[in-house]
Amino acid sequence: MSVESTSNPRTPQVLKDISVLTGGQGGDGTLTVSDLLARYFHSQGLYVYNSRAVLSRIRGGYAAASSRGCTSPILAQKAEQDVIVAFHQDAVTFGAKSLSADGFILGDDKVVTTPDAKNLILLPLSITAASKIGQPLYKNVVAFGALSVLMGMDRTAARGVVERRFGRRGEEARTKNLNAFDLGVELAEQNVGHTARFSLEHGTASNQVLITGNQAAAYGFVVGGGRFFAGYPITPATSIMETLMKILPPYKGVVRQAEDELSAINMTLGGAYAGARAMTATSGPGFSLMTEALGHAGEAEIPVVIADCQRVGPSTGEPTRNEQSDLLHSVFASHGEFPRFVIAPGFPQDAFDLMIASLNLAERWQLPIIFLLDQALGENLQSAPRMTLEHATVDRGKLLTEEALNAMTAYKRYEFTKDGISPRTIPGMKGGQSQVTGNEHDEWGHVSVNVENRKQMMAKRMTRLRLAKSELPQPLLWGDEKARVGFIGFGCTFGPIREAQQMLKAKGITSRFYQARTLWPVPVETLAPFLSSVDVVFVVEHNYMGQFAMLIREYVSSPNIESIVKYDGSSFVGQEIAYHVEQTMKAHTSYGPGKTPIVLHESEGGGF
Amino acid sequence: MVEHVKPIQPTWCPGCGDFGVMAAVKKGLLELKIPSEDLVLVGGIGCSGGIHNFMDGYGFHALHGRLLPTAIGVKLANPRLTVLAIGGDGDGYAIGMGHFVHSLKKNASIVYVVMNNETYGLTKGQASPTSLVGFEGNVEPPIDAVLTALSVAGSGFIARGFSGSPKEATNLITQALRYTQERNGFAFVEILSPCVTYNDTYDLWRSKVQDVGKLPGYDKSDRGKAFATCLEVMQQGKIPIGEIYMPPPEKRFRSLDASLIPDPTKGPATLDISVSANAEKYAKMLANLE
Repeated sequence: MSVESTSNPRTPQVLKDISVLTGGQGGDGTLTVSDLLARYFHSQGLYVYNSRAVLSRIRGGYAAASSRGCTSPILAQKAEQDVIVAFHQDAVTFGAKSLSADGFILGDDKVVTTPDAKNLILLPLSITAASKIGQPLYKNVVAFGALSVLMGMDRTAARGVVERRFGRRGEEARTKNLNAFDLGVELAEQNVGHTARFSLEHGTASNQVLITGNQAAAYGFVVGGGRFFAGYPITPATSIMETLMKILPPYKGVVRQAEDELSAINMTLGGAYAGARAMTATSGPGFSLMTEALGHAGEAEIPVVIADCQRVGPSTGEPTRNEQSDLLHSVFASHGEFPRFVIAPGFPQDAFDLMIASLNLAERWQLPIIFLLDQALGENLQSAPRMTLEHATVDRGKLLTEEALNAMTAYKRYEFTKDGISPRTIPGMKGGQSQVTGNEHDEWGHVSVNVENRKQMMAKRMTRLRLAKSELPQPLLWGDEKARVGFIGFGCTFGPIREAQQMLKAKGITSRFYQARTLWPVPVETLAPFLSSVDVVFVVEHNYMGQFAMLIREYVSSPNIESIVKYDGSSFVGQEIAYHVEQTMKAHTSYGPGKTPIVLHESEGGGF
Repeated sequence: MVEHVKPIQPTWCPGCGDFGVMAAVKKGLLELKIPSEDLVLVGGIGCSGGIHNFMDGYGFHALHGRLLPTAIGVKLANPRLTVLAIGGDGDGYAIGMGHFVHSLKKNASIVYVVMNNETYGLTKGQASPTSLVGFEGNVEPPIDAVLTALSVAGSGFIARGFSGSPKEATNLITQALRYTQERNGFAFVEILSPCVTYNDTYDLWRSKVQDVGKLPGYDKSDRGKAFATCLEVMQQGKIPIGEIYMPPPEKRFRSLDASLIPDPTKGPATLDISVSANAEKYAKMLANLE
């Protein structure tokens, strides 16, 4: 917690970086409090990072979410909480451990069983909601009203946030929620007094939007010319489909919820084959079901994007928790061998840009692209610069126009070419009739088991992995160019690694971060020089085996790779990465392969 | 004229019922004057699923059991196209059964032709979902796809033909094509198509088929009566064929493609997706983000 020194001890402290954790029972609207806080922070010019599946000490079926606001850009959740809102006893029992020295807990007196707990403010949140509004669920907005007093919020702005959020749902929702907010204000003022525990510094963030990675990817899909989407609801990927259901119809695009993932991917292939830019989105279990069709897209050369918003696996795993364990699966999924690209954005703006790039690459190279997201990037609401059309382009590759087709003497769908890409027609074009098939085929698309043809067709398809490399999304390099400590990561680890870099820098350890955006084919051309430019590289990822480190070691010979992994469902925070890097730097004088990876759990790291 | 892929000779055994089905499909397409460039044939896996290779048009060989989602994807991307999904009973009623039922529910304007031979011909004669008890050790009573289709509330045109009666089969497929051309929704035509190698049923089926339209008082616009009559015919040891169900306009649900894309020439596949053509709308959309 950043605290400005105050000369008068009775003046509330002014915070520049605040985090509020809300813990309750799943389904009781815990996320509502976080969402209202995020929108309030946003309205005050602060940068925001919300986390839906926080590193809570809250066990079992209890939901927790955190909302962080800061005067400077933030990229991840932080380890310490300044405020805890407890709709369940566990939020008090376990949450207290992460409470900052000057923090407080706002508890619902109906559920908290330890009224003597330190720094606890008990208010009749749900009882007031039930008796005065008629439904205990309004306790969330009552709590937000109370927080507006205790956290020294601008009352009008906070009330405005409630009004905007619930006003859309009709007059009754608006009135009831505003009433709940006012009741919360009253409760806090009557029971605690008018003096805030602390207040928030006003921020200067401008032209920022509040968005999740999934939403940003959906917007990228629209701007990138995506007009066909078929999916099946699955946590944590569903918000891609939900966003598209809202924003794609005005462009005459089609969004369909299929009966299962098999149908979703095959509808998507049908749409893509017919000439629409098409995508499906899923998470691990759904992606497993889609793997046969993934190979079909590879063999039949159908341009398609499959977004996999990863969660804890295998099997049903932990649907709401964060992991990056589908990496090797996305690289190798489906039987047989065929070219594919695996592309992973690191932050919302990146998801927008790389989705546009993926749509272009899929059509340019006529192959499937796996767009790898994860729960944290996909679902965590955060501040991001407003997306623009500045770099947006649509490149449909060798999709023939009717004129170009008419100028040809013969049209072969799988014609052998130098770059392995054959001109493509879509149904409805006269003379472009073709056979598109998952069978091995000759240039015409006729089934073939001819050995020479097989060799040439394999070469035609696989050569694209090599030829496309210069067009694939390049890594972003962050930090000090001359640093001897390196980081490699992708997806949601972007934020925690960037924050760890800042913390390490404050301790005199400069570092450089290779944010990988193309994961397959392995970007050897940029990885090799990066690895040789530093003494040690920490590959930070959310899985057990250190999958990205494995992949890199397979393609780049380097003795300097250290693996930092986390697979307990919680997301990295900057502090723990910084702490372990610092410890490792102290302990090691040289680095070698085959060492045990550094495994972080949510109870570890950085003295929290 | 650009030279394009030519149909190859069918790989079916001589005498295979599938020849009759293909002839019926070709005649239907000819009758409705559907140009081959506007035709998408989606084939499944199995002997019947190779049909797209033997005809002129845009052919797509789908994954086993997945031809219906694929075909619906094509139709929703470009509703102007004539889309035929053609597969076998194994493809459609075993691995693809979920998609079959949901395609009846989705009600997109495509024709689904199932060549039912009551066996897996390509893998050499195993029992299929429609095999009778006793066939190759089968102890499970068969699925009747017509009854299944009738039981889905949203289903539209339902018919069953016999490849040994080519004139009638052609008529059913032509009607199905017309039904989808008018954007009425999903048209399902099962054609009994004997496998001369593993389940030669020509004579048996010829003796068992019963055209329900020839039964006194049969009303093809009455779903309930159609179901009852088919069941009755089956209980008499016969196979109901003909125009089983043709919902009258007032009983039709709006097709999926017509609901989503009122103007069939403006499907997602044919839109101008360049950034410049949409820039103003995009900019407004992004500016509205909070």
